[in-house]
Amino acid sequence: MPRTLRCAGLALVAAAHLALSPAASGASEQERQCPVPGSFSAFEPLVPRTARALAGGQAVVIVVLGGASSLGRAAGGASLSWPARMAGALTLRFPAARIKVMDLAAPRQTAQEAVARLARDVLPLKPTLVVWETGTMEAVRGVGVDEFRETLETGLDELLAVGIEVVLMTPQFSRDTDAVIRFDPYLVTMREMADLRDVPLFHRHGIMRYWAESGMMDLRARTSEGRRALAERLYECIGRAMADLVARDAAGPETPADPEGRR
Amino acid sequence: MTPTDAPGRDLRLDFFRGLALFSIFIDHIPSNILAQFTLQSLMFSDAAEVFILISGYTAGKVYGRAIDRQGFLLAGVRVYHRVWQLYVAHVFLFMIFMATMAYTVDTLDRSLYADEFQAADFLHEPGVAVVEALTLRFQPAFMDILPLYIVLLAALPPTLAAFRRWPRAVLAVSAALWLAVQLDPHIALPAYPGPGRVWFFNPFAWQALFFVGAWLGGSPQGGGWLESRWALRVAAAVALAGFLIRFSWTLHGLYDPLPALVSGKPLWRFLSKQDLGLLRFVNVLALALLVARLIAPRGRIVAGRAAWPFVICGRHSLHVFCLGILLSVFGHLVLNEFFGGIAMQLLVSAAGIAIMIGVALLMEWFARAKAAPGRGAPERAPAGRGQS
Repeated sequence: MPRTLRCAGLALVAAAHLALSPAASGASEQERQCPVPGSFSAFEPLVPRTARALAGGQAVVIVVLGGASSLGRAAGGASLSWPARMAGALTLRFPAARIKVMDLAAPRQTAQEAVARLARDVLPLKPTLVVWETGTMEAVRGVGVDEFRETLETGLDELLAVGIEVVLMTPQFSRDTDAVIRFDPYLVTMREMADLRDVPLFHRHGIMRYWAESGMMDLRARTSEGRRALAERLYECIGRAMADLVARDAAGPETPADPEGRR
Repeated sequence: MTPTDAPGRDLRLDFFRGLALFSIFIDHIPSNILAQFTLQSLMFSDAAEVFILISGYTAGKVYGRAIDRQGFLLAGVRVYHRVWQLYVAHVFLFMIFMATMAYTVDTLDRSLYADEFQAADFLHEPGVAVVEALTLRFQPAFMDILPLYIVLLAALPPTLAAFRRWPRAVLAVSAALWLAVQLDPHIALPAYPGPGRVWFFNPFAWQALFFVGAWLGGSPQGGGWLESRWALRVAAAVALAGFLIRFSWTLHGLYDPLPALVSGKPLWRFLSKQDLGLLRFVNVLALALLVARLIAPRGRIVAGRAAWPFVICGRHSLHVFCLGILLSVFGHLVLNEFFGGIAMQLLVSAAGIAIMIGVALLMEWFARAKAAPGRGAPERAPAGRGQS
């Protein structure tokens, strides 16, 4: 398990970042609103085929597997979900590419249920990239970590075997859920599997924790309108951060640092 | 007060159990920097193995002697009295858990995560959850090691009796059961909420460690291959290899470009915590042998002043253990609410350990005060301590 304790390590790095001012001159809107420290992606492998297809203006099919947090309901609709925001960000950056994001997330979908859908629902779409958001149901239900690891391995192998690139995405962070649910073992397991299969991990839990810790985003909202606004902003931040991760080494027509290109 | 009261006492047991208790407290606070420096980051086995092994050893020793002195019946009743105390502690922890839940559930229902949190099935059937907790099948966060301990201790009296007649046969059965679990992980106790959920610590696997400890504790000391030089060398080699590999993973985890010495993948199946994988088992036995051979029962490391807080906590392990679990829950809540980075994590850890030591001191004082008038050596008090 090469990077077993990366999660904890990342938390450390994130904590260290708190002391630094994140904004550089010419920072984009996102970098001012919800920057993601480079440490979260510095050692993640690339998704070269997807990046090439984006830069080369080819067809890119991205399938999202996950739970309620990938559906956008809390923000008021599918168009405000993070997959939709990611699609928007990628399209702005790679206007020539034919980007299609298919959101197959379903509320309370377990990793096992997601794996069971791969052959029937995912492979026929011939995706370039699958973003697999998982771990929440397993943590909430307390599924055995060994079992979760096997499920992840099965799913990853099935996708990688046919040349589909994969990004794993960890559960959301909130103080309230973290107070009563143990996410750590599942985060560590996802870290291990991502390393083992050499796929990037989008550490949403750590990133959201970083935003909450640094005071950039108060993940608590008292009113229903406050919650909706928070969800909208959160999903936009997540969507953009995911777009950045996916397109890291793709040279688009507009550079990521260009604020106008990101709006 | 000094820990050097009963002259024959093996302070190593108290010391390392105290150390394990502090580690369990620290390890159970998620995202605590100090957890990077406990046994779990240095060796394949962690504080849970140490705790169960020492508990088995002390139980075998104390109740083995009790059988000799008081007869099987009275010794057995004493064990089940202990089991009852553990059970009450388990129920108490569950009350705390439910109180935390009741406090947070309202917030959660109005949070962004309500949809996913609905999956916490027990919220919809609290009545069932309570019954399942009473039957040890419901083991929410942190409530997994006490049920293991309860069933292991409950199985102790008949096992000790069998040890007296057929020690090898009992060890063989115990090892065979452990091996069966390694070969077929489906051998497990079902847990709530099902389906497919099992006990976090598989008692069919962990019993092997506990009863190896009980056998060592109950059998006369000295002699045998454990005293041989090659046993020491093998143990040292195992521990060193475990350290080099496991610690390279820790460093790799903290800073990616540092290489991991061995890929984890082929080792995973031997590292299962749930089923006490081979490497964990072997690693903790090697450590135990090293400690037994290299540190005298009242050596300077364990009898010095610096060791005293560990010894005192290890001596009152049941209470300090439960307190530690409780404190880790509170510590987690504090860190979760206020964040505060590494300084806060250190502060919370230090405060928790200070409270654990304070309570252990109080219990030590109370045990002595109870034993003091008239009687010489506290005959009853040691039965309550050092045996859990």
